[in-house]
Amino acid sequence: MSDLIKKDESAAGHAQCMLNRRQFLMYTGTTAAAVSTISLNLFPGEAQAKARVVGYPRQHIGKLSQLKENIPLDFNYPDENRNSQCFVVKMDGAKAGGGVGPQRDVVAFSYLCTHQGGFMNGKYQAVGEHRVLGQCPLHLSTYDLTRHGIIVSGQAYQSIPQVLLELDGDDIYAVGVMGLLFGRNQNLMESQES
Amino acid sequence: MSSKYYLPEDKAPLPPVNAEVLTTCCDYCIVACGYKVYRWPVGTADGGPQAHENALKVSFPSGPLQAWVAPTQHNVVMHDGRPHNVVILPDKEAQAVNLTGDSSIRGGCIAQKVYNPNKPTRDRLMSPMIRINGTLQPVSWDMALDVATEVMKHVVEKHGANAYGMKTYLYQYIENTYAISKFALRHMNTANFAFHDTPSDVTSTPGFRDAGFENFAPSYQDWAAAETLLIAGTDPYETKTILFNQFIKPAIDAGQKTVWLNVRETAGIAYAKSRGNALFLQIDPGTDTPVLGAILRVILENGWEDKEWIEKWVNNQWASDSGFGQGTRNTPWQWRTTWGQFQTKGFEDYKQWNLAQKEYDPKEAAKIANIDPTDIYKAAEMLAKPKADGSRVKASFAIEKGFYWSNNTGNTNAVATLATVCGAGGRPGQMVGRLGGHQRGYQSGGAYPRNKSPQKHAGRRRQSMDCDRYFYAGHTRFAHVIGTTWIQAMCGSAGLNAKFEEQVTNNPHQVRSFDKQEIIDTLKARADSGGTVVLNQEIYLRDPIGSRFADIVLPAATWGESDFIRANGERRIRLYSKFYDAPGDAKPDWWIMAELGKRMGFDGFDWKDANQVCEESSRFSRTGPKAYHMLKVAAHAEGKTLHEKLRELGTTGIQGPTFYNYKTGELLGSKRLHDTTLTPEQMEAEGRSMATNMVNKKGTHFNSQSGKVNIQKHPWSLFSDYWEWMKPKGDELWHTNGRINEVWQSGFDDVDRRAYIAQRWPENWTEIHPDDAAARGIESGDQLMLYSERVPNLRQSIKAQDDTDFSFASRLKNGWIELNKAAVTAVAIVTPHVKKGTLYSYYLNTNQPSNALQGRVPDQISGNYSFKMGVARVKKIGESKYKSEFRSMSFAPRNIV
Repeated sequence: MSDLIKKDESAAGHAQCMLNRRQFLMYTGTTAAAVSTISLNLFPGEAQAKARVVGYPRQHIGKLSQLKENIPLDFNYPDENRNSQCFVVKMDGAKAGGGVGPQRDVVAFSYLCTHQGGFMNGKYQAVGEHRVLGQCPLHLSTYDLTRHGIIVSGQAYQSIPQVLLELDGDDIYAVGVMGLLFGRNQNLMESQES
Repeated sequence: MSSKYYLPEDKAPLPPVNAEVLTTCCDYCIVACGYKVYRWPVGTADGGPQAHENALKVSFPSGPLQAWVAPTQHNVVMHDGRPHNVVILPDKEAQAVNLTGDSSIRGGCIAQKVYNPNKPTRDRLMSPMIRINGTLQPVSWDMALDVATEVMKHVVEKHGANAYGMKTYLYQYIENTYAISKFALRHMNTANFAFHDTPSDVTSTPGFRDAGFENFAPSYQDWAAAETLLIAGTDPYETKTILFNQFIKPAIDAGQKTVWLNVRETAGIAYAKSRGNALFLQIDPGTDTPVLGAILRVILENGWEDKEWIEKWVNNQWASDSGFGQGTRNTPWQWRTTWGQFQTKGFEDYKQWNLAQKEYDPKEAAKIANIDPTDIYKAAEMLAKPKADGSRVKASFAIEKGFYWSNNTGNTNAVATLATVCGAGGRPGQMVGRLGGHQRGYQSGGAYPRNKSPQKHAGRRRQSMDCDRYFYAGHTRFAHVIGTTWIQAMCGSAGLNAKFEEQVTNNPHQVRSFDKQEIIDTLKARADSGGTVVLNQEIYLRDPIGSRFADIVLPAATWGESDFIRANGERRIRLYSKFYDAPGDAKPDWWIMAELGKRMGFDGFDWKDANQVCEESSRFSRTGPKAYHMLKVAAHAEGKTLHEKLRELGTTGIQGPTFYNYKTGELLGSKRLHDTTLTPEQMEAEGRSMATNMVNKKGTHFNSQSGKVNIQKHPWSLFSDYWEWMKPKGDELWHTNGRINEVWQSGFDDVDRRAYIAQRWPENWTEIHPDDAAARGIESGDQLMLYSERVPNLRQSIKAQDDTDFSFASRLKNGWIELNKAAVTAVAIVTPHVKKGTLYSYYLNTNQPSNALQGRVPDQISGNYSFKMGVARVKKIGESKYKSEFRSMSFAPRNIV
């Protein structure tokens, strides 16, 4: 667990964006609440952007020791319904926003392009120091997996949703999603939300 | 340390079944995808996830290509004074343009464009303002308009019409541009008039104009129907996304060959290459003319020209002269096409000329362009080598700003000639045109008074006024600026900024009074003392034109806030519906012009609504490529207004020029211009020649006196002296600039006011090749200084006696070029997708305008700027935070397939 709170000495700003669920909750000071929100100022004086971390299940998705470098492991999250296809990958030492593990290079994302829902299975690519998902076979969007899934080039309406991870010893848990999964009007479908 | 970023939301409301639905189109790029606006009052129920519970008639979660609402597609607006939800989605039922409901990242997030006091659009201009004691302060419309018009009247009376200068957008809707140009050209009658993207009122593509090609003659299907498509100076995936996604990409997938001329390899080019049928000529900036000339040489030497087409459709000298007699040849296309520098006696004459030019030897051309000469031969084969059965390849030719804003006249002449030799220009799948920048929203309300321009080339060759130079000279006493930053958007922008400071801020006559008459007197005294008074119509306060220089600011209403019409890159005209209340007191520009016009005492400015302006303008459109007059005729026949009729046509609209069959009541569009496959019999049978229908020559022929194509010379020497002078010396690199997909040229909306895009592109940036970066110790994420002491600025010379007086070499020798310094900062992106030896920057970050480095020397023939031509030295000045944080920007290359 010490990995989770260890700050990155080489870059002061790095740790700040290494959001995981624990830190989300620590920010809000409501660790016990099932529903919490985190507010961040984007532009001074703006109304605050809210990200919900609402009752996401804590789901075991694999073991760190089983992950092979640059080989994605597929799982479904936050449920088994439509549009829940996700993957976790260890990016061979490429540090990432939201990355866990000793090298902060383990990340998880949705497979569905947030432009028109293209399925990007098989589109994880390590190119030099870069780690991208894409091009999407439908309209060629690519995403930067070291930067919370931000668009590199393309047409998507938002970053590729990032699955928030926790590492407990060797066990990797999915604990939340940042961003709306393609095709859903809310990530947690009514029937699952309780 | 903290930086701008957003946390994505994880839910979005669905429109309910009873949501109102209005159609519009995207406000941004030329393609103009069709959109639907779903509107329902805040406080009433949202739609549910089952298909019967929402207006999209889709069950959620939805599948690939089905409707979906991303959080960035929802907003809250005021409508009839009450808050309403709006969800703005690409039209899933679109019958044209964005088939399948596709959209770009820009249009896809357009719901974030609308005014919302709780979002980053909160700083929309709400009230007219006058600068008093250095501060812009809200005043009434009456006061602002009275002050503006009293000063305008004085300036024109005392200093002449040209002392009133207008700098305006060319594109922001028919109703507005008609009112604006009616005011400035017909009534003020000033020659000091230029659009947002050029210092003079000139054609963007002189070579097309002179050959006889309209810029937007092709339909989007034509680009798809070509067997070989040459694309120069753009990657349409980046800047005309849906044209690529819905037309060109499927064609590439089906085997279309593509030939690209570009300095950088972006996603669309990379994709085409990955399909195995693309040829990428990664040329150095400004070298297209030698490359195209050499491709032509190879075609000519092999006899691969389209002999039948040339025989039938190319002018000989007599035909290119016909109609002129010995009379005036004083409009630019007339003097250019009859000037020996360009005019030929026909194809054979052109051929002899080409074969005699040493730079069109493929080896020489390849050396200039810094490419492999064998690629020139390959390109010629792909475009023109007859197939095994002897039939011809259907080739089309598409260009955009990277091409025509480097060597404007030479490049456009060369591609027009190449297209003609390949048999393109007037047949399905064999067309030539621009792919486009902004949408086509200009309808002139008056003619440019060319005779009032002081500039002319040798002989009687009158040129439009270079308004930037006129301003530099201190002649512009009243600057009326509408919807453009002017300063940063022009070349050598640092010098222009300094001149504005001198003319406006540093002038002793500054308003210190709250009394209307004293304000008027002060501003008149400013103008009389040699200073400049600035009036700015805008939607946001822009720096510096609004925030630092404007004396009067008038708040404009825009997309979604008034009904407007406009055409796209295949002349498709649609209605852009008003769907919410404009912020504060903001008014559409046509209304502002009407109020100014009435106060000036001009007749014909008493419009009651946008439709009245549109209907008045329609008859002036009849000779143009997007003629919409017959829409009005059809509308009136049905007892409707033009806007009402167009609203019925939804996101499909109609392609201009429009025709009306009086017998059947059918409204007809035009798929393409210059359609040589159409016969008069067909036209008559469809009712296109009845009554007030106007069958223009350009519908079935070309824009020349004879209706045939002028095949023109494209002398490299007109540009090569500038190019050689500019070519990087010492440790300089080429510095060029352009758009980027995620931002395009809508930075005021997306990069400034959309969290998602601001996170992707938080600052100015420049792309540098890994070899150039390594040599300078630069890594991705480093903060750079781009600087130059060689920014040429043409300051003098308005009349040429000899043909060579306006050449760069002569101007330099005569001391008419001033060398300026400029510097901008940028974040480094080290990437192999940009050509070695070339820096590529975003074209217009208003805080760090890369145009400051680009030479302010307009094309000597056409008057356009060579925006793409510049050099810079580069050094690391530190590290940006993006180098070490993992949240914003991305340094991944754009050509990963």
